[in-house]
Amino acid sequence: MNSQPSQNYGSNSGFQNAPAPRQDMEYLCADCGAKNEIRSREPIRCRECGHRIMYKKRTNRMVQFEAR
Amino acid sequence: MAESIPKIQILKGAEPDLSAATYQIHDESHTIGNALRWMLMKNEKVEFCGYSVPHPSENHINMRIQMYDGLSSLTALIQALKDLDDLCVTIDEEYTKSLQSGQFERWDEKS
Amino acid sequence: MASSSSSQLPPSVFNPRRHVGVHAERVSDVASTDFPGHYPGEDHTWSLARFKENLTVSVKRLSQRSVEFDLVGVDASIANAFRRIMIAEVPTIAIEDVFVWNNTSVIHDEILAQRLGLIPLNVDPALFSPRLPGDIPYDRNTLVFQLDIECSRGAKGAIINEYVTSGDLKWVPQGEQESVFGDLVPTATNKDIVIAKLRPGQVINVELHAIKGVGKEHAKWSPVATATYRLHPLVLLNPSKPIPPHLAQKFASCFSPGVVKVSPDGEVSIDDRHLRKETMSREVLRHKEFEGSVELKRVRDWFIYSVESEGPYAPEVLFPESIKVMRGKIAAIRAAAEALLADSEGPDAGAAAAGPDADGDVEMEP
Repeated sequence: MNSQPSQNYGSNSGFQNAPAPRQDMEYLCADCGAKNEIRSREPIRCRECGHRIMYKKRTNRMVQFEAR
Repeated sequence: MAESIPKIQILKGAEPDLSAATYQIHDESHTIGNALRWMLMKNEKVEFCGYSVPHPSENHINMRIQMYDGLSSLTALIQALKDLDDLCVTIDEEYTKSLQSGQFERWDEKS
Repeated sequence: MASSSSSQLPPSVFNPRRHVGVHAERVSDVASTDFPGHYPGEDHTWSLARFKENLTVSVKRLSQRSVEFDLVGVDASIANAFRRIMIAEVPTIAIEDVFVWNNTSVIHDEILAQRLGLIPLNVDPALFSPRLPGDIPYDRNTLVFQLDIECSRGAKGAIINEYVTSGDLKWVPQGEQESVFGDLVPTATNKDIVIAKLRPGQVINVELHAIKGVGKEHAKWSPVATATYRLHPLVLLNPSKPIPPHLAQKFASCFSPGVVKVSPDGEVSIDDRHLRKETMSREVLRHKEFEGSVELKRVRDWFIYSVESEGPYAPEVLFPESIKVMRGKIAAIRAAAEALLADSEGPDAGAAAAGPDADGDVEMEP
């Protein structure tokens, strides 16, 4: 099924093997969709709407699938 | 991959003169097996002909041919293949003829 | 169905040897008997001339998507071979690899990939060679599409790109493909297939590689929606036990409309022209009063094919394509069989050392 790190023919390839640059993780508010950052010892709370549920963003790596 | 597997193998136990033999045909199924079996059975010198798909996950068929009068089953197999090809040509010609005659209903099918 | 009134059935159809019996709970005389030795004193060996004489192929109905034709005078093994080939061995092009750069829709990547694979493409498979596992993709074996779509909110709250359809696939020509295809831009045969639904802010960005394959590998490569056949129905009335006039309407209603004709004085007859419409529901066999007055049959060597194309092929070319594939298979086996024959005759001629595996014996399994 998902043969992620193997051969890849994607035209924009050569990118997935590079080490991911360490950057601040952004989270999306489950209620309003606003971008948020979360820090230790701070309550998890959307700065726009105060909602307390956050989603992690999808990976920006390419993922290969077989259409079967 | 699988370069070494021949299209046809004669399985062990065949008569030395090939008057009775089992042919293992690779990469084939009921499609060819049954059609070829029928054509071989149309040969009056064939005593017995049958085929099997030994296992659904193995991609081959076994074709058993037994001949009368010590004749070669391999020759019969080749003849049956020739006849089967003639049959295909005939059907193709007749179909094309019918299509070109235009003697059929044309209708508009909504998709 | 068929409004074209075909001519009367040929008299040979009433030959009982060609009949398969249809009874309330079973069928009878299914197997063909036209083999040498079955009927003493009769010649049933293969004869191309005799086969040509008895063969009838006639196209009955044709639309832009489907064809119905009759193949009369062949054995079920032959008819079935062509049906099987149309479903499983006539090649087409379908999406095989899906490279997901982004997909924030509610459809999971795996499901999206599977849906994309099933889209029928309008590409002529003859322009491509198959890409076997391990082969490098290049312009003769791989077709590249891009699906890059983002849903957003437009003016007055309208949602743009709410539906991702097969028409959103964008062909990315590789190598010589642009000149080879010319005006025939590769797309889906049906541009209205919904692949996914999006909400504003959701994105799908995937690259798709389509390759040549056959239906036996995966159904997405099957060029047909259905390729089926049925045997021509036959209803035989028993002249020595006719249907009483007061039951004529009841009798007629046991069959498909038009199959049974009732004359003004209540006499019952079969309309040959509409016989092929009979569904063979066996309803007559449920009524005691009709017992012995009617027999249901099918003609063993009269195949009514129904083929629906779902892909690059016009419906009427699918059958010739299946014959082409069949002949290819026959040629491959024949070449191997002839090589085997040459091998087995080789040692006597003293040319045994020529071939690499000419070990002076018939090739046998160890």
